[in-house]
Amino acid sequence: MEKKNQAINRTRSPADDDGRAKDRVGSVDPYGFERSEDFDYESHEELMSEYLVVLTRRCIKWSKLLKGKSKVQKNVKLKRYVRKGIPNEHRALVWMSASGAQDQLEKNPGYFQSLLGAQHDPKLVETICTDLNRTFPDNVQFRKTSNPCLQKALYNVLLAYGHHNQTVGYCQGMNFIAGYLLIITKDEEKSFWLMDALLGRILPDYYSPAMLGLKTDQEVLGELVKAKVPRVWQTMVDHNVMWTLVVSRWFICLYIDVLPVETVLRIWDCLFYEGSKILFRVALTLIHHNEALIQQAHSLPDVCQNFKQITHGPFVDECHTFMQKIFTEPGSLSTATLTKLRATCRSRIIAEES
Amino acid sequence: MSRKKAVKGKGSSKSPKASPSSGRDGGRTGKGLAAAAAPSSGLVYPSRPSLSNSGEFYDISFKVMLVGDSGVGKTCLLVRFKDGAFLAGSFISTVGIDFRNKVMSIDAVKVKLQIWDTAGQERFRSVTHAYYRDANALLLLYDVTNKASFDNIRAWLTEIHEYAQQDVVVMLLGNKADSTHDRVVKREEGEKLAKEFGVPFMETSAKSGLNVELAFTAVAKELKHRTMKEPDEPKFQLKEYVDKEMRTAGCCRS
Repeated sequence: MEKKNQAINRTRSPADDDGRAKDRVGSVDPYGFERSEDFDYESHEELMSEYLVVLTRRCIKWSKLLKGKSKVQKNVKLKRYVRKGIPNEHRALVWMSASGAQDQLEKNPGYFQSLLGAQHDPKLVETICTDLNRTFPDNVQFRKTSNPCLQKALYNVLLAYGHHNQTVGYCQGMNFIAGYLLIITKDEEKSFWLMDALLGRILPDYYSPAMLGLKTDQEVLGELVKAKVPRVWQTMVDHNVMWTLVVSRWFICLYIDVLPVETVLRIWDCLFYEGSKILFRVALTLIHHNEALIQQAHSLPDVCQNFKQITHGPFVDECHTFMQKIFTEPGSLSTATLTKLRATCRSRIIAEES
Repeated sequence: MSRKKAVKGKGSSKSPKASPSSGRDGGRTGKGLAAAAAPSSGLVYPSRPSLSNSGEFYDISFKVMLVGDSGVGKTCLLVRFKDGAFLAGSFISTVGIDFRNKVMSIDAVKVKLQIWDTAGQERFRSVTHAYYRDANALLLLYDVTNKASFDNIRAWLTEIHEYAQQDVVVMLLGNKADSTHDRVVKREEGEKLAKEFGVPFMETSAKSGLNVELAFTAVAKELKHRTMKEPDEPKFQLKEYVDKEMRTAGCCRS
């Protein structure tokens, strides 16, 4: 990635036209995703020329911090570093180490392979297979023709996880998460243990059959919006929009295919280090920043459309600034508040469903 | 067709310099107020004409939901209908719930279908069925190459009866009818099941386009007639219309 960006950063004459920007940037991004037809190469090039400076600075700092170490100690300094973005070359290491996935991998040698070797539940296999071709068809690494092809790796990670955690099995959305983990770690076993860290420890029960954690967090977000952005909350009430309609994908997919790839990875840096609170910070920032737009909605479909619109554009493309905003724009959000809200909303949902 | 505004969903929202929704607001002023008073039944009677979200004018609006097992082709069917395209292997699995609008011309009336596409996996149903009650029509899909998706239709119908409005229009669709080699559900089986539940039935193919337009047109006609029927006008016969207009897959039908 860095190499590509250095090429971008050469002195440019103002006469450079869009076609040339397209040649320099390339039609496939550093993660293998093909850029969409309406991709704005010029703006991207401009953005990357600035972000590259940040990336280079961060790279130097991280290299000094890690000095070839294979594990990291959690501390205030590291937290600050993570919030400013983990360089892609160190992402797998820091995610593995900070989330406890590395410890699990070391404590359970051969476990992942043994899951793959065991007898497979045919129903699970079928459910996973339904989604294989429907996971990142726009990514060259997931094409059957590519070598190595991540589709087989994706199958293995999902199959192993489904047998490891039989309560969850396989839930749509996990395919995208496993896919991202494979793109970053390029390793099935590491991806498996990172899935285990996410679904087993970091996230509430989003993916289990009752999806209680998801329903809870959607309601929690509603409560937070009511307190922090009351006019948006009122808009939702006025048009009778349930939160699930606009944010279920945000939570289930952990912003994959909702926000730009680079922004998602920056969010995940904090997710693995700090936990699921970050998902609320992102949601609240998007909503707070676009308060005026959301309020303009005249109907339920309008509200849905506006919620889609706020996940595109320069505000989310500029991932470094966006990641600074999520810690300031929504104001304070203590773990205690969140824990309390989750407990309240959860019991409310259980009472309603029983 | 009707006038189409420049602003159109995804393309415009991605352009970094586009000021959000300015185009839509411009079109809305003075015209969108009636639409704002949409009752929760999903039915909208704007003072004509009104401007839909995608920027097209319409007279009446209905909510249609696509349901059925994961992988039966709900999103493909919707995209084929909306954009007339079938791009093999270019879709990602639908997570949660999503919608697209399409305005159709039915007997000189502009009917907007607000079509909701849902995740098919069973555990998502508890998240999506809350929206059944607002639906005017439900298109229930199975995949003719997947027996399990057909067997699950009964469960889907039970769920529909539990959560949807009493007078909801339900249509059963056997999708992927172009896959003659992989077919495991006979057309007659679909017909029989549909008859048992008293719902109209047809086989469709998002790939070839077979009956895709017809499925949505039939639903739109039925809903339009219900809403705008003149006192002396005969009742629209959805099943007869479907049987008359339907084309069948392949040449092998006896």
